[in-house]
Amino acid sequence: MTTSPEPRRGRKPDRVDVCIVGGGASGATAAKVLTEAGARVAILERGPWLKPKDFSPDELANVNRFYLTPDPLLHPRTHRASADEPARVSRFSPTPFIVGGGTAHWTGWVPRMFEEDFEMRSRHGEVAGADLADWPISYADLEPYYDKVEWSLGVSGDAGANVHEAPRSRGYPLPSLPQTRYAKRFREGCEAAGHGSFQMPIAMRGKPFGGRPATLQSAFVQTMGDPSGTRGGAAQTFVPDAVATGRLDLRPDCYVRELTAGPEGAVTAALYEDAEGVLYEQEADVFVVACNAIESARLLLLSTSAAFPDGLANHNGLVGRFLTLHEYTEAIGVFDGEPLYPWAGGGYISAGTADFYATDPDRGFVGGGLIAAGSAGFPLPVNWSLPEKPAWGAEAKRIDREYFNHSMSAGIVLQDLPQATNVVDLDPDVRDAWGVPVARVTHRAHPNDIAQANWLVDRCGEILDAAGATKVWRNYIDSITGNAVHQHGTLRMGEDPEASVVDAACRSHSVANLYVVDGSVFPTPSGVNPTLTIMANAWRVAEGIARARSAT
Amino acid sequence: MDTALTPQERATLEAAMARVIPTDEHPGAREAGAIDWLERYLAGDAVYAKPDGSGFQTLTGRLADAWERRIATLRERYRTGAAELDRVAGERFGARFAELEGERQDAVLAELERGATLTRERTQAAILEDELPFFALLALHTRQAFYSDPVYGGNRDQVGWRHIGFPGPATMADALEDRYTTDDYLA
Ligand SMILES: Cc1cc2nc3c(=O)[nH]c(=O)nc-3n(C[C@H](O)[C@H](O)[C@H](O)COP(=O)(O)OP(=O)(O)OC[C@H]3O[C@@H](n4cnc5c(N)ncnc54)[C@H](O)[C@@H]3O)c2cc1C
Repeated sequence: MTTSPEPRRGRKPDRVDVCIVGGGASGATAAKVLTEAGARVAILERGPWLKPKDFSPDELANVNRFYLTPDPLLHPRTHRASADEPARVSRFSPTPFIVGGGTAHWTGWVPRMFEEDFEMRSRHGEVAGADLADWPISYADLEPYYDKVEWSLGVSGDAGANVHEAPRSRGYPLPSLPQTRYAKRFREGCEAAGHGSFQMPIAMRGKPFGGRPATLQSAFVQTMGDPSGTRGGAAQTFVPDAVATGRLDLRPDCYVRELTAGPEGAVTAALYEDAEGVLYEQEADVFVVACNAIESARLLLLSTSAAFPDGLANHNGLVGRFLTLHEYTEAIGVFDGEPLYPWAGGGYISAGTADFYATDPDRGFVGGGLIAAGSAGFPLPVNWSLPEKPAWGAEAKRIDREYFNHSMSAGIVLQDLPQATNVVDLDPDVRDAWGVPVARVTHRAHPNDIAQANWLVDRCGEILDAAGATKVWRNYIDSITGNAVHQHGTLRMGEDPEASVVDAACRSHSVANLYVVDGSVFPTPSGVNPTLTIMANAWRVAEGIARARSAT
Repeated sequence: MDTALTPQERATLEAAMARVIPTDEHPGAREAGAIDWLERYLAGDAVYAKPDGSGFQTLTGRLADAWERRIATLRERYRTGAAELDRVAGERFGARFAELEGERQDAVLAELERGATLTRERTQAAILEDELPFFALLALHTRQAFYSDPVYGGNRDQVGWRHIGFPGPATMADALEDRYTTDDYLA
């Protein structure tokens, strides 16, 4: 542990209009909107600002040695299923601590949420053991911002191909990318089984768009940064847009330890430590939290004051509660005949179906999720695997040889239900390498989550069967492990100050100059990948902040 | 660079890796140089290749400390594991592990495997190698050595990639200079 007794203090940087904590998907979106509206913005980002030349097609470093994602020896989290058991150190839901956050190493599936996702409580009422809530905003409120994000990222997709899609004001800026073999096989399976399907909308460009070049297709995409700099992500689009205004001060390697509040409860400064261990105080009119749902809750809980002894904005004890995580599981199939090359384009130039998304009461559970094509296990040689494959020996080697190019999956995005007892708090015993208490996740899946997941896995299996797989494995689950690496819910948005942490503008009910723009605010998580919605909402919230500033 | 393994440990582990990915009509762990991969890793200066493949990054500060600790743990586990392989080989067959013929080596490995529950993480990437018992580590690292970029010392001449039909980049620098794509493998 490296806590020095008396850390050095640095000279206060100039006060800014808005201080954003976290330079990932949501923080960068907010910075673009705010700087373009004329505000002076500082982003404090705890990780480095890596450039394309720092990234490489290196599966070992990125997947197995945490090149971009938090090393548990430095940044542990702890995890347990319930409050009566000890929490164990784990690499729970790791996203990169770098400029660009979880969009630096993603493929970039960017489906929109569906209309019903905003109204789960009204539609389904009280579900025993769960804490469903409506969003205080509707799909229609968010639609203009979905559009803005799609057009500034440069999303490729076929508007209308997903027949369940909610109304949109216009199509995608770019047509779908050329189809991969595994996506094609998936769609053939859907068709044979009588289901609709569509190419997954994706933050990659088939041709130059908006002054940015076409995306170079590599096998090394998922969990890896992009050495060509041509994929769509916060660091490749929103950061340069904000920098171009001349009003963004993006400070990497600045770890915010707490937000300090004055006697009235308003935030006065962000206290942060730079790479040399020097402490600084950044003052601003408005503070925006954008650390991703686990770290954002942790930061508020670390920020205790006389006005907020239990953590900033925690006037009702709800900070950290209602954590939702999705979960990824799948059916895996092997195929004779033509190779599927399930690593082409990185393994996730995909196709999906939303035919199993809407709730059907006859199934005995609420909700549904997106189903989409992917690889078996992981698309690259080191981490690829098939179920039941032995760990060593001639048979294991034969399976690698015969099936690496002849296997694929149909996988799910589980729509898990929020529960007040699924919580992020501070671990009383474990500290990170900076001596700061780490996030402790207490999370147990709801029976609805398990029923839904395993029902969807059966549908995945049927699709692969219909696609002609010679053998199919169905990976049923009995718990949620955080493997989707989607985080939501911990700073719930709602109208009622007693039942939520932030209001519909994503401003704290109890701290007037504090906003949250990441997935923390999602009252329910939907069953689609969250980041497009996170960015769209961040755009909406930032516009609100800009509007409020110009009104004063 | 200090040598991570004694000559005897090296011989034992090389023989064991050669049973994890055996040589058949295709090259195996031995031809891929898996043992060199392992020695490099355990020496501690080959954690992250430089993005252009021209050597390895120098780690500093907390990151360097973390990797030093991790690799010390792994090194110890390999020392004990190699000794265990030779001990079981001696008890059962009266010779060192490396001197046994393949089937007997497999029998020794199977005995060690029985003692080690291989964690069944849903994704391999979720595995924390510091926590693995020796046998699981050996199996995992042999695979990593066989299939990771040749810059790390294994997968010599891309034998691992060729074995499964994966067209990896000729060098990592190809990706930095936009010469590597998968455009030829679409529908
Ligand atoms: C491999 C992988 C693939 C993914 N693919 C997809 C996909 O295809 N589609 C999709 O929708 N989602 C995907 N996701 C999820 C996506 O990464 C997240 O939903 C998204 O990044 C969340 O955005 P955010 O702004 O909330 O947080 P992030 O993007 O994680 O950014 C948070 C930032 O805050 C910084 N930070 C945290 N704490 C502090 C602090 N105390 N001080 C200063 N800075 C701090 C972090 O370093 C980080 O840069 C993927 C995730 C992974 C791991």
